[in-house]
Amino acid sequence: MITVENLSFRYSATSFGLRVPAFHLRDRERVAIVGPSGSGKTTLLNLIAGILTPEAGRIDVAGTDVATLSEVERRRFRASTIGFVFQDFALLDYLSARQNILYPYRITPALTLNAAARERAEALAAACGIGDKLDRHPTALSQGEQQRVAICRALVTQPKLILSDEATGNLDPESKARILDLLFEQASEAGAAVLAVTHDHELLPRFERVLDFAQFRQGADA
Amino acid sequence: MPLLRPFLAVVLTLLAANPVAAQDRSRVVAVNYPLQYFAERLAGDEAEVIFPVPADVDPSFWRPSIADISTIQSADLILLNGAGFATWVDRVSLPRAKVVNSTAAIEDQFIRTESITHSHGDGDEHSHEGLASYTWLDPILAIAQAEAVAAAITARGIAPDDAVATRLDALRADLAELDRQATGAFDGMQDIAMIATHPRYQYLAQRYGLSISSLEWEAGAMPTEAEQADLVALAAQTGAQVLIWEAAPPAEAFAVAAELGLANIVFPTLAQGVDDQTYIQAIANALTAISEAKP
Amino acid sequence: MNALYLAFAYLRYHWGRSLVLTLVAALIMFVPIATQILLSTSERALVARGDATPLLLGSRGSQLDLTMAALYFSDERPDPVTMREVEAVWDSGLAVPIPVHSAFSSAGFRIVGTTLDYFDFRGLTVSDGRGLSILGDAVIGADVAQTLGKGVGDTLVSSPENLFDLDGVYPLEMPIVGVLAPTNSPDDQAIFVDIKTAWVIQGIGHGHEDVVTAAEVAAGTAALSNAAVVQYQRITDENIDSFHFHGSQDGFPTSAVIVVPNDARSGTILKGRYLDSENPAQLIEPAGVIQGLVDRIFRIKSLLDVVTLIIAVAALAAIGLAVFLSYRLRAREIATAVKLGARRGMVLRLLSAETITLLSLSALIAATGAAIVSRNSEAWVGWLLALGS
Repeated sequence: MITVENLSFRYSATSFGLRVPAFHLRDRERVAIVGPSGSGKTTLLNLIAGILTPEAGRIDVAGTDVATLSEVERRRFRASTIGFVFQDFALLDYLSARQNILYPYRITPALTLNAAARERAEALAAACGIGDKLDRHPTALSQGEQQRVAICRALVTQPKLILSDEATGNLDPESKARILDLLFEQASEAGAAVLAVTHDHELLPRFERVLDFAQFRQGADA
Repeated sequence: MPLLRPFLAVVLTLLAANPVAAQDRSRVVAVNYPLQYFAERLAGDEAEVIFPVPADVDPSFWRPSIADISTIQSADLILLNGAGFATWVDRVSLPRAKVVNSTAAIEDQFIRTESITHSHGDGDEHSHEGLASYTWLDPILAIAQAEAVAAAITARGIAPDDAVATRLDALRADLAELDRQATGAFDGMQDIAMIATHPRYQYLAQRYGLSISSLEWEAGAMPTEAEQADLVALAAQTGAQVLIWEAAPPAEAFAVAAELGLANIVFPTLAQGVDDQTYIQAIANALTAISEAKP
Repeated sequence: MNALYLAFAYLRYHWGRSLVLTLVAALIMFVPIATQILLSTSERALVARGDATPLLLGSRGSQLDLTMAALYFSDERPDPVTMREVEAVWDSGLAVPIPVHSAFSSAGFRIVGTTLDYFDFRGLTVSDGRGLSILGDAVIGADVAQTLGKGVGDTLVSSPENLFDLDGVYPLEMPIVGVLAPTNSPDDQAIFVDIKTAWVIQGIGHGHEDVVTAAEVAAGTAALSNAAVVQYQRITDENIDSFHFHGSQDGFPTSAVIVVPNDARSGTILKGRYLDSENPAQLIEPAGVIQGLVDRIFRIKSLLDVVTLIIAVAALAAIGLAVFLSYRLRAREIATAVKLGARRGMVLRLLSAETITLLSLSALIAATGAAIVSRNSEAWVGWLLALGS
């Protein structure tokens, strides 16, 4: 699913840098990325998603060399191939849970909002246990419920890859495991691979593989 | 602006100096019989002259109904006598543009009568100066009134200028003839005291130098005992030899006056018309009667 | 569509903020439009009235006061001229003079004493009842009828002008005999009586034993139209014959005289007769006076425009700030959208959609307001112009 080779990246204004000689993620694989803060975990996710572009190296996602795409192509690629789950959920207050789930369809011409998409949203919500709360706004939902909405939003576009950035970071310990299980369950049902940045080491056993990021860090001392 | 134009048009038509033959007959209202007579003679067939006061009502004290007022307001010309005659015109709304006061030009010849004094509520007393109103009994003043009527008819284009001028000449001649006749009839009567049953003959008296005292009798009625007593007193005081009646009273009334040595003369005041006689005829007949009765 | 959907959802969710922004924007659009409509309607009404009144004769003094009193029946009370001036115009044969005596009022409306010529001149028609016939009759304008809820058969009592009037002149009770059809002019706001009736109110003409006394009022035998009035005169069938005028009508007063010349030449000749500044009367052209007034109003209006502009700029700045702040608050949403692969320019579309929606709503409200103002402008302007009276 993902093949990274000789990837190097540096924020222009800072001394921060990232070098990944090789990284591989198979289809449907569930991999956790761990490492100290500032080690570049989120940067890697952003590079894979095409939000950032590398200085050098190759990033192949589902057969597409992300680094060679134009800005417009990367946006389209991101919208249609990747599902994002964020630590802060990143839901929109002014939209109901249902409309939050369908939000990706409203911001890009790469996706078409049709009856199938709406049905998928309903089904996902039902599967995530928030089927009766679809008309509520985020402020009327608990944290766990909000993250379920966010998971539904990541999956509704049927992506091949879920990028999860501390998706369980803001949740209480009991919810963490349940939400992660839910994410895995839905991802596997959709046949999507999951690449998750996490600090919750107790959750690591649930992943198939763990990638420790300390090895890639290329700071000012390097 | 849209309102101004038609109004101006109406005004121009009304005031047009050149005669404009009206499509329909114009309507002229007169407040007394002499004005009606003058208007009829001057306007001829071109106008319908209306004298709205019923025959049994004194035009001086007539009070028009709303319907009468409506008729008068819609007339093309409203002829007032002026000189305080017909005070109802002060209490009725009339279209000023159509109103003509036939004595406007002879106001300097008006005769002031005794004042009437009265008070309002708690207010001070104040007085009214009365005016003698029966201007038309003086043929010379009547000529002025006829001229005013003619001018009004001409100014409003009710009848053609030349026709009105011709008719005015004829009317003026008739009135001048009356003056001549009156001068003759009253010749030598200047020193003879006369009594009138009603104060109506001020202008006549002034014109021909007569001295006429007045009673306040009801026209055409038999005088009461008290009124007869007044007459006796007044006759004694003035040494009067003639009694002028507004209208013929019962024969006994003539007898009462005759007993006092007074010559009875009926001289209609003509505010209302007299049966079967025009203004000219009625005055001519009265003057004839005076000549015959001259003491 | 999607951008509009999101914009609408956003505005609806933050309805309070949206409402304020919409109303402020609507107000900024509405105020200058409404002012313009009302002013141009006022101008039309003023100028039309001025144009429809060729010449005005009155006492030498403020031409504006004279015009306002004679054309708009305002509170101004120019020194009266005598009816001798009216007769002088009649005698000239050059014009039709129409006296306007507007010194008195009743129930807040001017009593206009005039002659029947006025109704012909202004093209006023009676929609109910009849025209003036008898001394004391009153014919009221459409607005007077509506405001007072009075009609034919009711009565009006003139307001006492001087409570300490030593002449013992009491207010006059006048029967309403007719209601005029509306003309959207000051005539709708006037109570018309024969000028002779105005003289009766003034005490120049009067009757005898005609005062409705306090005792009669107390006994309920007199209908009381004005609670403040305990004694007033009433012209009845019984006492009308006692009503009379003292002195010659030539000496009686009128506030002004509308002069309708037969033609332009007559007007010029007449005007020449009043040029002498020693002449206590003046003959003016109301249209010129009105134009001067209108010019002055429009100078004030341009000042008002500047004020409106400044307020508009300030308000737009405030709106801009509010919008800017709300976009700052939405930076996170924008970041999310970018991560989710939002199309290029999505943010701009979203913001435009919101702005357009807001402005469209504002414009709709402003347009509705403007339409209402426009539809009622004649009536409102009539009312505004009559405020002075």
